Amino acid sequence: MASLRELQRAFGAALRASSPPGDAPPVTPAANFSIYRNNSALGFRAAMQATFPVVRRRVGDDYFAQLAALYREQHPSRSGDLHWVGCDFAAFLAGHLDDDYRWLADLARLEWARECAALESAVPAIGADSLAAFAPEVLEHVTFALQPSLRLIESPWPVFSVWMANQVDDAPPVDQSLGSQAGMVLARPDGVEVARLGPEFFSYLSALVAGASLGGALERAALPAERLAPVLGHLFEDRLVCAVHSPKR
Amino acid sequence: MSRLDPRGVPLGPVPARAGIGLRSIHHEDIRTNPPVGWLEAHTENYFHDGGAAVRALERARANYPLSLHGVGLALGSADGLDREHLARVKRAVSRFEPALVSEHACWGHANGEHFNDLLPLPYTEEAVDWLAAQVREAQDFLGRRLLIENVSAYVTFEHSALTEWEFLAALVERADCGLLLDVNNVYVSARNLGSDARAFIDGVPAAAVGEIHLAGHAERDGVLIDDHGSHVCDAVWDLYAHAIARLGPRPTLIEWDTDVPPLPVLVAEAHRADDILGGARGLAA
Repeated sequence: MASLRELQRAFGAALRASSPPGDAPPVTPAANFSIYRNNSALGFRAAMQATFPVVRRRVGDDYFAQLAALYREQHPSRSGDLHWVGCDFAAFLAGHLDDDYRWLADLARLEWARECAALESAVPAIGADSLAAFAPEVLEHVTFALQPSLRLIESPWPVFSVWMANQVDDAPPVDQSLGSQAGMVLARPDGVEVARLGPEFFSYLSALVAGASLGGALERAALPAERLAPVLGHLFEDRLVCAVHSPKR
Repeated sequence: MSRLDPRGVPLGPVPARAGIGLRSIHHEDIRTNPPVGWLEAHTENYFHDGGAAVRALERARANYPLSLHGVGLALGSADGLDREHLARVKRAVSRFEPALVSEHACWGHANGEHFNDLLPLPYTEEAVDWLAAQVREAQDFLGRRLLIENVSAYVTFEHSALTEWEFLAALVERADCGLLLDVNNVYVSARNLGSDARAFIDGVPAAAVGEIHLAGHAERDGVLIDDHGSHVCDAVWDLYAHAIARLGPRPTLIEWDTDVPPLPVLVAEAHRADDILGGARGLAA
């Protein structure tokens, strides 16, 4: 007689969609084993549908179900918490789809960022007056702690426009010739914000996220010094700054 | 007697009344404080630090006794406890201070792959020993006694040597845990597998039962599917009345997870359970 571990491994192997339907473990009635196969597959698909509603809208229910099943074969659930099953979906789509549909991978990346931000907290933001204590010559060396849930997304395709247009069913396709877009996803006190950002502000914000100081970020984003005041104003208006750190001496 | 936490919130025990499962669709409506005895939430939906769900449960927690019911620990998995998952359960328990914490008599992962389903165990000495050891380890880590629920089954293992209620009685004895008696699951399994639902109710160790679940099921091709997607059926109400007559009043939960109806439907279902619980109280008095 098989040990409990051997039994569960055989049962688990037979649950996979790729295993032959007749390959059931020693259970009675054998025909009912398919209920477990279906439950497991449907639970996985439902979690994927909940996480990637816009990808689903764009590809349709049937193709989404095929994608979810193929993805599950290559990236089975690794947690008892179904929240995590979508973590590799964007990378999977990038490797699976033809060039004409590669934008769907970036759309999935945006939706995954949204799923993650939805489970995080917004931190109280501080105002621009927090910079008042710094002498002008010190200011460029100051660093910011930004909203911890902040995620930046950049794509060669107009994925923010696609995401926004597809908050309802049956939205018309977005013209892909709109080209590249960038933006942010983050937790707010009342939900998740998804916002498209201009290239200048996005570059500056990316540099800050990478750890650059206020002045260093300006250099990395290749912005002239006079742009510092407006981008800082934008950062504070958007309630993105949670703490200011003095430069290390 | 309930005690008060520093926020002045009653942290009483879950009463022997009917409660309802709190689902995200009702996170706003529950703010109207419908008349139910308590709430139960799925632990895994509150694993995270922020988000609308956590905020909603914190609000609801201020007004109702709470039970946290896990669906992902898969305690009977032969590959061992998922320590990361267990640590998250502990964080949720610390955060919400539920009066009851429960999980299932099932397994759910093998070879690193999780099936995210409540998979059946064979009813053998080996399996009950293993499950009891895992439950003990989880209880020690959480510092809490767990209620372990019987799951719906669609198959039996050919080498099972115990009845399900004998298995659960042995689990209670070896793990020093409590039981969550899901009466709908008893009914579904009995119908699917030709066992005796009343013998199950009569055979389960009465003192260990700390909570009861009631839910609806569907029938497909002659098989009952535990989908929690409809009203509790008459046969399950009858079985529940039989259970309460034997066990006495127990906290009873109305579970509804698919095609979740408006909150008043759940409340009405809970009141039907309260009527049976009240009848049992009347007999006791």
